[in-house]
Amino acid sequence: MVTGTADGRRRTALRLTVFSVAVSVCFAALCVSFWYIQVLHNQMYREMAEANTERRMALRAPRGILFDRSGRVLVENRDAYVISILREHSKNLDQTMQLLAAATGVAESRVRDTVARHMSTPRYQPIVVIEDASLAQVSAVLARRLDFELPGVVVQRVPTRRYPSGGLAAHLLGYVGEISEAQMASEGLRSGSMVGQSGVEKAYNKLLMGTDGERRVMVNNVGREITTLAEAPAAEGRRIQLTIDYDLQQAAEDAFRVSGYAGAAVVLDPRNGEVLALASVPSYDPNVFAAGIDPATWKRLNTDRLRPLQNRATQGRYSPGSTFKVVVATAALEEGIITPDFKVTCHGGATFFDRFFQCSVKSGHGTVDLRHAIEQSCNVYFYTVGNMVGIDKIHKWAEALGLTGKTGIDLPNEAESLVPSSAWKRAHTGERWYSGETISVAIGQGQVSVTPMSLALTYASVANGGTRLTPRLVRAVNDGSGWKTPPAADAVVGQVLKPETVAALHDGLFLVVNGAGTGGRARLVGYDVAGKTGTAQVISLQGGKQAAGRTDMDLRDHGWFAFFAPKDNPEVAGVVFAEHAGHGSNAAPLARHIIETYFAKKAGRPLPVLAPPEPPPIKAAAPGVAGQDRPH
Amino acid sequence: MFDRRFYRHLDWPLVAAVYALCVIGVLMIYSTTGDAARAAMARLFLVQIYAILIGTVALVICLSVDYRSLADRAQVIYAILLGFLVYVLIFGVVRGGGRRWIPLPLFNLQPSEFAKIVVALLLARLFAANQKRIPSTGNLVVGGVMTAVPLLLIWAQPDFGTPVTLVSVLLGIAYVAGMRLRVAGVLLALAIVTAPIVWNYALKDYQKARVVTFLDPWRDPRGKGYQQIQAQITVGAGGLWGQGFRKGTQGQLSFLPARHNDFIFSVLAEEHGFVGVLAVLGLYLFIVVRSIETARLANDRLGTYLVVGVLSSFTFQVLYNISMSAGLAPVKGLTLPLMSYGGSSLIATLAGFGLILNVRMRRFTNS
Repeated sequence: MVTGTADGRRRTALRLTVFSVAVSVCFAALCVSFWYIQVLHNQMYREMAEANTERRMALRAPRGILFDRSGRVLVENRDAYVISILREHSKNLDQTMQLLAAATGVAESRVRDTVARHMSTPRYQPIVVIEDASLAQVSAVLARRLDFELPGVVVQRVPTRRYPSGGLAAHLLGYVGEISEAQMASEGLRSGSMVGQSGVEKAYNKLLMGTDGERRVMVNNVGREITTLAEAPAAEGRRIQLTIDYDLQQAAEDAFRVSGYAGAAVVLDPRNGEVLALASVPSYDPNVFAAGIDPATWKRLNTDRLRPLQNRATQGRYSPGSTFKVVVATAALEEGIITPDFKVTCHGGATFFDRFFQCSVKSGHGTVDLRHAIEQSCNVYFYTVGNMVGIDKIHKWAEALGLTGKTGIDLPNEAESLVPSSAWKRAHTGERWYSGETISVAIGQGQVSVTPMSLALTYASVANGGTRLTPRLVRAVNDGSGWKTPPAADAVVGQVLKPETVAALHDGLFLVVNGAGTGGRARLVGYDVAGKTGTAQVISLQGGKQAAGRTDMDLRDHGWFAFFAPKDNPEVAGVVFAEHAGHGSNAAPLARHIIETYFAKKAGRPLPVLAPPEPPPIKAAAPGVAGQDRPH
Repeated sequence: MFDRRFYRHLDWPLVAAVYALCVIGVLMIYSTTGDAARAAMARLFLVQIYAILIGTVALVICLSVDYRSLADRAQVIYAILLGFLVYVLIFGVVRGGGRRWIPLPLFNLQPSEFAKIVVALLLARLFAANQKRIPSTGNLVVGGVMTAVPLLLIWAQPDFGTPVTLVSVLLGIAYVAGMRLRVAGVLLALAIVTAPIVWNYALKDYQKARVVTFLDPWRDPRGKGYQQIQAQITVGAGGLWGQGFRKGTQGQLSFLPARHNDFIFSVLAEEHGFVGVLAVLGLYLFIVVRSIETARLANDRLGTYLVVGVLSSFTFQVLYNISMSAGLAPVKGLTLPLMSYGGSSLIATLAGFGLILNVRMRRFTNS
């Protein structure tokens, strides 16, 4: 090496050696670093790489199909496309939301709101942004994904609920919706699951949901699927056969449609508690919930003054009016306070505790026994008997017949019916019960407040001789190995009425329809329909003064008709509750159509068809007086 | 001009190591871009092969002409380089935010890549001409200016990776030429003092973000920290033996950006594991040590400094790129010499090794 002096050569050689050693040390450090990363922590990085490249996609299980009692499909499934954002694969979430909204025509604020609501869910779980996307939206997204514009956006085909009959039995069947935070906590389900939110869909959600499957796919860095690694198929939910009879349900809803009334109808089999029909009008189309309801529709349903989302059959509470008289009669007979032959003379009213209580017929009903008191709905008779029985015994027998508390029907959010007792009053107001209050209760007014469901159960109990049943909606469940009947709920036995009680009640209720009573419009020749009308006050005289701005229709009383048939061997029992129908007699034709449909179907005859709506049957409503009732 | 006897003194082991890395590079480029789904990139490995062929021609030219003759013409070559750099600034092709390329039929020529060897040649001549035992301050200043002119032109493109390699050329030659450690200390102190000024006024926001991200890449794992995290995952997933040729999910599924150029080593680490890493690190170390040996054996100071100059930028780039591949250094657009995709880089590197071979080949001859 010719680099000048020996000293210079030595220095250059030394510096080259230092250079060489320094570089070697750097290489050694790199080797150690790679050993640390690749060998010592290989497992950790391998898992991170797998998390990068693998996506676990939940395969939503189709919900179980619902049938009516004869096998007709009430609820089924259809395929829908959902568009979701997978935050884990979205490099710029803000931009992804913006592009997705622009591509699909969905308001950007809605996309952002949806994503914001789900920010607490794991990043690897897709957030469903558009349920039931149109083919145009799907195409728009797929086209952009090909251009790598929308990484982290996935399109999935999922089974979605379909209600082929639209709003028919909507309150009974219920609807599905995305799981709420509270449901997630209580049911241990994952975010984004579609679960029952009301009706049978909610009550039997666990059975209907089935088990979601999972697909593991390999994806590239823009989220495109490369290949499927493994797939565990989803298991469909259990199929459930309901006790509902499609034709009877249709008949009930048709009757309301033709009459123009809002209200509810409940039809039971008094022999076993099976619910044959359960209608609440007005209704809604559960299909709008199936793939996520849009905010405008949700707002409209919630602000509608007719409250279409309320199930009037199980959640509405009203005064039962004269339909309550059977409870007073039962209590009096069963407690031995009167016999069916016990007579009261009606002069058009009577005075109790220094106060005059009016009957419906100012001239009076004359002297009537129990049967005719029921037939003619004589208030004076029941004022008298009610006063003799007392509130606590009335309460006792109301409970025995199923009119207090909840009926136990397998539907969510059932309201409790109330028939007061002295203990109840003391507990709730701290005051003692005044005997004068019993007079109002005796004709189904005052503090008595019942659901159509519980009144239907009461008439079913009266029909079957006093056995209180638990209404039920499920006839059989198919768990994959054939249809199985669920064990029936225990009926309350031992509360069976005395034969003479049953005979007297049945006779009286038969006369309401087939004699000189107010239920004549429910008469069906050859089927011995028994029933009772009732009129529930909507507003008191005092309240009427405050009712400025309300329409005449709003001020009309509600009409009840409770029934069973045939009288001697009842197969069908129930109630029709017609809001603002004015009189109970106006609810009777609705019940007749239901009963006629029942027997026509049983006999294999063509089902009855309703005539077009009649003109409004009621004049302007006249507010009643507290403590008085129009006995219909 | 060329004596056939020189073939006997050609450093064949170094040639073998250099070309072994070129072949490994082509295979890795094929692995990361050979997928038919990425049709636009499917032929890049062929372009790399063409670049190797052209680079080989450049290597042969660089070893054929006596390096002393080349050094005599260093100023002319330097002037041509500056001409190219100015031309690029005015007429160059803009890509990825930088104006760095002159379009050619097979690939785009990046003149800044050649700046490293031209500056090495010029500085070697400058420092070798100094008859003193220790380079004078004047030498350092002149060398600094000679380095600074192309550096600023490249900085203006903008390209912030290559200028650093030019500085490494200057420091490498100055150190071996005997620069006092005191001067090195002063430079270091100067760097520390000016660091806040550079941070506040010279660095752009995204460059600052790179440094911050390097310190904590998980602050923004999908954004600024993405490359660093993905690079580390890619390396770590390789394990001891690797996932196999073209079987690495990170590289194959495109989770790693710039995997065929800046992150080619990460892909190698994923597919061939720690064993593959050791083999390639061994080859690089062999090349460096062998080249230092050449510097030691050089017939004159010019040869020594020329080898050190070329080797400094090469070594710096290798160490930095491999550190970056494992997430051990901030992400910066620096290729891995000999392996990364990139025609200019490869041709310039092979030309540089032509000079190193040239020096070793002529160690027994006097000018």
